[in-house]
Amino acid sequence: MGDGSRPGGRQPAKPAGREGHSRRGGKSSAGEPQPGQRRFSPASVGGDLVLLAWFVFSLFPLVWLVLLSLKSESEQISTYFEFTPTLRNFGTVLSSEGARLTSVNFSEALLTSVLNCVGAVLVSLVIGVPAAYAAGRWQYRGSGDVMFTILSFRFAPELMVIVPLFVIYNQLGLFDTNVGMIWVLQLVTMPLIVWILRSYFQDLPPELEQAALLDGYTRKRAFLMVALPLVRPGIAAAALLAFIFAWNNYVFPLILTGSGHTPVTVAVTRFLGGGGQAFYSLTAAAAIIAALPPLLVALSIQRYLVRGLSFGAVKA
Amino acid sequence: MGSLSLRGLSARYAKTVALHGLDLDVADGEFFVILGPSGAGKTTTLKSVAGLVDAVEGEVRIAGADMTGVEPYERNVAMAFESYALYPQKTVEQNLASPLRSGRTGSWSPAEQSERIREVTTTLGIEHLRGRFPRELSNGQRQRTALGRVLVRPADVYLLDEPLSHLDAKLRAAMRAELKQLGEMTHTTTLYVTHDYQEALALGDRVGVLREGRLVQVGTPAEVWHEPADTFVARMFGQPEMNLFAAELAAVPAGGTAARSRRGGIAVGAPHSVRDSVDPGGSVLLGIRPRDLAVLTGEEPADRLVLRGRVTLAERLGRLVELSVDVAGEAVIAVTEDQRVREGDRVTLTVPWDRVHLFAGGPDSGGPDSGGQDGGGQDRGGRRLGGQRLGGGVPLPATNAGAAAASGGGAR
Repeated sequence: MGDGSRPGGRQPAKPAGREGHSRRGGKSSAGEPQPGQRRFSPASVGGDLVLLAWFVFSLFPLVWLVLLSLKSESEQISTYFEFTPTLRNFGTVLSSEGARLTSVNFSEALLTSVLNCVGAVLVSLVIGVPAAYAAGRWQYRGSGDVMFTILSFRFAPELMVIVPLFVIYNQLGLFDTNVGMIWVLQLVTMPLIVWILRSYFQDLPPELEQAALLDGYTRKRAFLMVALPLVRPGIAAAALLAFIFAWNNYVFPLILTGSGHTPVTVAVTRFLGGGGQAFYSLTAAAAIIAALPPLLVALSIQRYLVRGLSFGAVKA
Repeated sequence: MGSLSLRGLSARYAKTVALHGLDLDVADGEFFVILGPSGAGKTTTLKSVAGLVDAVEGEVRIAGADMTGVEPYERNVAMAFESYALYPQKTVEQNLASPLRSGRTGSWSPAEQSERIREVTTTLGIEHLRGRFPRELSNGQRQRTALGRVLVRPADVYLLDEPLSHLDAKLRAAMRAELKQLGEMTHTTTLYVTHDYQEALALGDRVGVLREGRLVQVGTPAEVWHEPADTFVARMFGQPEMNLFAAELAAVPAGGTAARSRRGGIAVGAPHSVRDSVDPGGSVLLGIRPRDLAVLTGEEPADRLVLRGRVTLAERLGRLVELSVDVAGEAVIAVTEDQRVREGDRVTLTVPWDRVHLFAGGPDSGGPDSGGQDGGGQDRGGRRLGGQRLGGGVPLPATNAGAAAASGGGAR
């Protein structure tokens, strides 16, 4: 089906392009392709097919998730694409009915997640931005090792530290608290923010701050007045990425929270049931709701983000 | 306002030593130019004075006060960076206001600030650009803005890092002429860095030539031009650069010492004092600036060095003609206003005796003549010999002129 539709779709554009050429050139060369004109070969068609297959494969779970969220309980495992769509699942998830089924209030879980993630990102920014500035500006013996250590928090498997963390949290009384979650999420957000922003600060010419120093400003004021405003796009990008990573984190809240301060990632899975019935369509609806906040945040700072993600990534 | 003094100033970046113990005294209000090629340590010198280089040893004194450990913002110096370093998020006006608002350059009311900024921008011809952001300026305009950020404020020392380098040629000449007239410049001690020898000669009360982190020579423009301390300094000043010929010291039968170029085309008498530093048979370098050579018409004067040769290349550069002349195998560059000279012509070049420079031969200069072929030696700095001007001390000008002419003729 793929090879029927795609070449067919491109076909109309091709003669049009050739017409343009011949009109400009003043003579018609109907049979011969122009230099640079795209030609079909088995290899290029095959390549397109592979890409198409990958496209379908990678996006299908999302499609399936949306379809599933629109199915009623009776249709959730008995239908594929033909069913009577309903939005009732979304209401159920957010209502007390959902809370009764899972023993977790999903609306409260959303709020908990927002609090945890915003808190975690803010703490990381307050500590991480100056840290990134220092790391980007001053090289000292072992500065590379320090940066690597910070990065290693990010790639070390969470399961490696989860058991000792559980014990510590229990003893400190941090189990199932927002403060505890914000703290542990620093492992996720801090390395990200420090590493991304360090490259932003490195890309800023140090002469800018030096000029401010000679203008009579202290180092702190030079940082606040000159360097900080110039990395705002980077801060937006790093904060968003950190927010998404924190939002999506599953293992830490799974172990370190109880029913009191469950975030959405854990709350979503509760609809799969613990021994009882698995509510697939409710799970799908909950997952879609849970995906909305990061999406909204991303859209709202899109203006900064596009510039931010490319700036700093490539050295001029 | 204040004097500036450097004692044993050394700076390093990681493992590279950028400055090797600089000693320098700049008087209050003096305009001091540091000239040197890229990588000589010019910018590092300025940044060390400003306190922007961490690994600095030695002493910097500004207005008599030791600046060791003093933060840049407490030093009361202003610097124009070669990269401009304008704040991208601020307009020209805000950039210039920045030093006035910091509170460390005196107190300025908003009215005083804008009045001062208006004065400076008018002087620099950027008044109409005050509302623009740096990204909306040409490089020349940015450079003038950076200069303005320095001039707008009082300071003990101005540090200017190639402030005219990005202007186009005409504007640069105009700015060069204006720069010294500025009241701020005449009253404030200024350390000015450039790689343009004309800027150095035109602007500097004194000039210091920097090479690989060392000051090779410090002197007035006249001194560094007429009495270059070594071949490096000699070649830094002048375009085309000085002709250098590998030569050998030899005793002259009539008594005295002569330096004879290795190909035999050029010979000059040398002062006796040369023998103190170079033995007979030792190698030396003869230096003649292309503009000091004149194409001779008429009689050969007795009081000048005479070179005879054939023109291999004549480049007409407007009013001037740049000649490459083959003098008994030595390639001599000369600049003349004589438009009649053609390639292939035989010409006679003369130069006053006191314009001939004599340098000790570097380790390389005694080697193969290939170095001499393309303008004499490498940048191996041969020390200037004789201490005083060479021409004045020449004991046998007439006979040597004859000898030069004879040997030149003999080679033909």
